[in-house]
Amino acid sequence: MRSAILHVDIDAFFAAIEQQRDPRLKGRPVIVGAGVIASCSYEARAFGLRAGMRLSDARRLCPQAVILEGHAQVYRCYAEEIFARCRALAPAVETYLDEAYCDLTGTERLHGDLLEAARGLKRDIRAATGLAVTCGLGPNRMLAKLIGKTVKPDGLQRLDAGGADAFMRDQPVERVAGVGHAHARTLRSMNIRTAGEMRALPLAALERLFGANGRLLHERCRGRDTAAVSEREIPVSISRETSFHRDTADRVEIEGMLEYLVGRACRTARGLGIRPGTVAVRLRYGDGESAECARSLATPSDADPVALALALELLRRQFTRRVALHALGVTFSNFTRAGGEQGALFDEPEAGRRAALYRAFDRVRADFGHGILVSGRALHLKGRLAEDEHGFVLRTPSLTK
Amino acid sequence: MRNESLDEAVAVRADFRGGVVTPVAFVRKGREHRVARVNARWIDRVPRHPHFYFSVTDESGDVYQLQLQGGDLVWWLDSVTVEG
Repeated sequence: MRSAILHVDIDAFFAAIEQQRDPRLKGRPVIVGAGVIASCSYEARAFGLRAGMRLSDARRLCPQAVILEGHAQVYRCYAEEIFARCRALAPAVETYLDEAYCDLTGTERLHGDLLEAARGLKRDIRAATGLAVTCGLGPNRMLAKLIGKTVKPDGLQRLDAGGADAFMRDQPVERVAGVGHAHARTLRSMNIRTAGEMRALPLAALERLFGANGRLLHERCRGRDTAAVSEREIPVSISRETSFHRDTADRVEIEGMLEYLVGRACRTARGLGIRPGTVAVRLRYGDGESAECARSLATPSDADPVALALALELLRRQFTRRVALHALGVTFSNFTRAGGEQGALFDEPEAGRRAALYRAFDRVRADFGHGILVSGRALHLKGRLAEDEHGFVLRTPSLTK
Repeated sequence: MRNESLDEAVAVRADFRGGVVTPVAFVRKGREHRVARVNARWIDRVPRHPHFYFSVTDESGDVYQLQLQGGDLVWWLDSVTVEG
């Protein structure tokens, strides 16, 4: 059976939503982000702006741009609406913040021509959300994404297996899935600029250069990608992060924010029925320097105090410079299903009561918003940060990958 | 663009025809604001009862965010965005 993967990419996602919410922004360069560009409109891209660029650089290139901090909760609602339509079309859908891979393999008898099915999906998404998406249909994930890139924005394109080899040959090495900045630099230093030129390297050479990744790259530069589309019932990571409204070295405020971020991440984990085994804390200083440190919990846990104790330890170990912090983030990973891990032989007697307490907190927060219950150090944020019904307003969209 | 958080419960006249809710006008500080245009609508399905959000432009051209909470059917005026 020939595999068929549809890649759905939401065009200029955050910026497009902001332009829709406020029609005065239509036709104007719009940037969404704090510190760096998270998303920018096509009008802004005409000035050379790109996601990941520092806002100070963006202002210099395009002084008339409208800069918005963004509304993570709104973007999540739109993404869910779009991904629900993808799930109605495909048996397996793997979603990210602003893109989805839909496995349409074997659905030709159901849908007929898959390109027409994709066209219908684009129509449905536009009717439901007003947003444009670009769709690429290919024999594997990498090619579906790459062929979509050739027709952005609002495009639709198919690449058949027969045309894959010729299409892939001229692609720059950066386009090969798995080749990041570091790998690209290595390849370019060897005067290898395209996937076609990369094919000249034998498997053993790629493995020596890139370790286990070398075998994957050997296949991918030939247009072959066997990575499956998986629903990922268990996410790879849950991140909650924010930049401060003004850079701060106030430990009370920083630890309060960390407690708040950990609380939000723990609630998400409990909602998914999973427990993180690893906690990471990430800092960005006002001068652009950053630090990140991760450690495993003794036992996977979704309880706020357990994750917080480790997060505070990681924060104190890393926050050693006498420079104010610009941003703070926490990431949970290495999940196990709640109830699926081996517990201690003699569990703490209060563990059950604590779990019941947090379940009760979650029920209250589901009805009245996360901010209705604020605990411990996070109380110090009251009055310092703006709040909405979801709690304190974070300045960076929160991610569950 | 300047976004001001309002967070006020408001009286809203709305059209529920065809199973779709559409705000028509709302009263703020004793003054009726007619909705000239619904710019965008989205639904937050995470809370136990869904929250329905609307971005609307009133007759004066200001853009407001309205919210209908599915549990108690109370309307909230979340924010206003003004030029400048």
